[in-house]
Amino acid sequence: MTAVAAPQAPADLTGVRLTFPRLVRSEWIKLRTIRSTVWCFAILFVLNVGLPVLVSAVGHLGDGKGLTGDAANAVVVQVATLGVNLTSLVVAVLGVLIMTGEYTTGMIRATFTADPGRLGAVFAKALVLAVTTFVLSAASTWIGVALAAPTLEGKGVAVNLGESAVVLPILGSSVYVTLLALLAFGIGLLVRTTAGGIAITLGLLLVVPTMLQVIGGLMDANWLLDVNQFLPSEAGRELYSYDAGSGASGADTGGDVIQLNGWSAFGVTAGLTFLVGAVATVLAKRRDA
Amino acid sequence: MIELQHLSKRYGSKLAVDDVSFTVRPGIVTGFLGPNGAGKSTTMRMIMGLDRPTTGTVTVNGKHYPEHRDPLRQVGALLEAKAVHTGRSAYNHLLALAATHGIPKARVGEVIEMTGLEKVAGKRVGGFSLGMGQRLGIAAALLGDPQTLILDEPVNGLDPEGVLWVRQLTRYLASQGRTVFLSSHLMSEMAQTADHVIVLGRGRVLADAPIASILSGATGQRVTVRTPTPQRLVEVISGPDVTVEQGADGSLSVAGIGAAQIGEAAAGAGVVLHELTPVSASLEEAYLELTQDEVEYHSEVTR
Repeated sequence: MTAVAAPQAPADLTGVRLTFPRLVRSEWIKLRTIRSTVWCFAILFVLNVGLPVLVSAVGHLGDGKGLTGDAANAVVVQVATLGVNLTSLVVAVLGVLIMTGEYTTGMIRATFTADPGRLGAVFAKALVLAVTTFVLSAASTWIGVALAAPTLEGKGVAVNLGESAVVLPILGSSVYVTLLALLAFGIGLLVRTTAGGIAITLGLLLVVPTMLQVIGGLMDANWLLDVNQFLPSEAGRELYSYDAGSGASGADTGGDVIQLNGWSAFGVTAGLTFLVGAVATVLAKRRDA
Repeated sequence: MIELQHLSKRYGSKLAVDDVSFTVRPGIVTGFLGPNGAGKSTTMRMIMGLDRPTTGTVTVNGKHYPEHRDPLRQVGALLEAKAVHTGRSAYNHLLALAATHGIPKARVGEVIEMTGLEKVAGKRVGGFSLGMGQRLGIAAALLGDPQTLILDEPVNGLDPEGVLWVRQLTRYLASQGRTVFLSSHLMSEMAQTADHVIVLGRGRVLADAPIASILSGATGQRVTVRTPTPQRLVEVISGPDVTVEQGADGSLSVAGIGAAQIGEAAAGAGVVLHELTPVSASLEEAYLELTQDEVEYHSEVTR
């Protein structure tokens, strides 16, 4: 290669400067040009479409007698949100990876050289992650519902998509995975290593709830079970489950353990995500990159 | 223009950069010289706002780097080879960086062409050689056609052609009135590229001077001479300051007298010369003299 040429007159660079919309555009380019990210989104999409279709086709729903009312609604919501248990793990890994991928490769220094204020780049990245996750999750979930609905109706399960008690939890599943992706993003920004970030995030989702339940049960310590209800996996569950008596606000205490309803669960999950994100952002601004 | 004032950086108990003040001026190539661990990279990272100085201030083109509204137009930096996501192609890497400032796609194509990356631009960076990574880093630094360039070990891993290219590029950019600041531990490279040198050792500035004065301040000029009659030559050029050493290959290494004077004396006495070559003290030697204790140096090394 003959690269010993003097640089020619550059392209017109008037008006070239840093803006937030441009950072968002940059992060969008980054998001779609890494294979692992694209794969994570593809898996999320396939799971959200495929599981409702599969289960509505092969599942023994309604036992042939036909379902209406709450029983039907509960089945519809359950089928529509089947993917969440798996996609929540996918977005947890994705959220961590999107941030730690920059730290572990050194890319973060290029990013923070282009935006030395740092906050714009971090917010733009979080925004792109959140919007992409929500849009893809909602689109795939509703495609799954649309494909599964005729099969469900055929089995005598009434699909009442006009009822907010059905629509809200199905939308809520997308809200939940979006919040989870942001929480994982915050954890990734906090610990800056892929292994550590994924371990913490998956531990929070899979290990900690089980531990609290087992220990809380063995020690008869209800406060541990109360704490459990505020974990993202448990509080988040309320965002995508059918609640026959929805409409009540605040936390109602079913039995001895605190139960969150949809909106308070949203508040808890969003609050936790915001808290982790805020601490991580302050540290990202201060720490040496 | 880069201005550092009493800049220090402490990592735990180690003072990596110790009260460093200097100015890097536009229009010339300024070399930043020092052994590994001297604090060069840390200093450059503080200039770019990546590391927070423990004390002191640093400005680029009159402002702290993060205060610029068009940072990539102000400064282009190659800080480490492969400050790049290994899973992304070179083209997309540059495209994403350009997008932050609204730099047109045409410019991305230009820097790819300038750095000779056309053939590999579509490949993922993870498979790049060190030299290719360096070229990509330089391409990223040039994206905003910046007024100031900061290049940390730019020739590291480059083939001889690449080294020559960096040398020509930096000199060209400086000739356009830009500020060019490049670090190296390869002193011979610095001698051929830089106009001005700042020498750093253990986090402190040991020298901040034009390269010529650093070289002449060192051991001084020597002249390599070959002649079929060495005895005769030594007789005609002998003097109080003149020292002559005989090399293993029969050449003479003369200090304390210039090449012109040797040639004139030889001609006057009819001594035949086969070679007469002035040899500058290498920057290596100058550098060693700057960094090592002089007494220790003379007692351990015999010339």
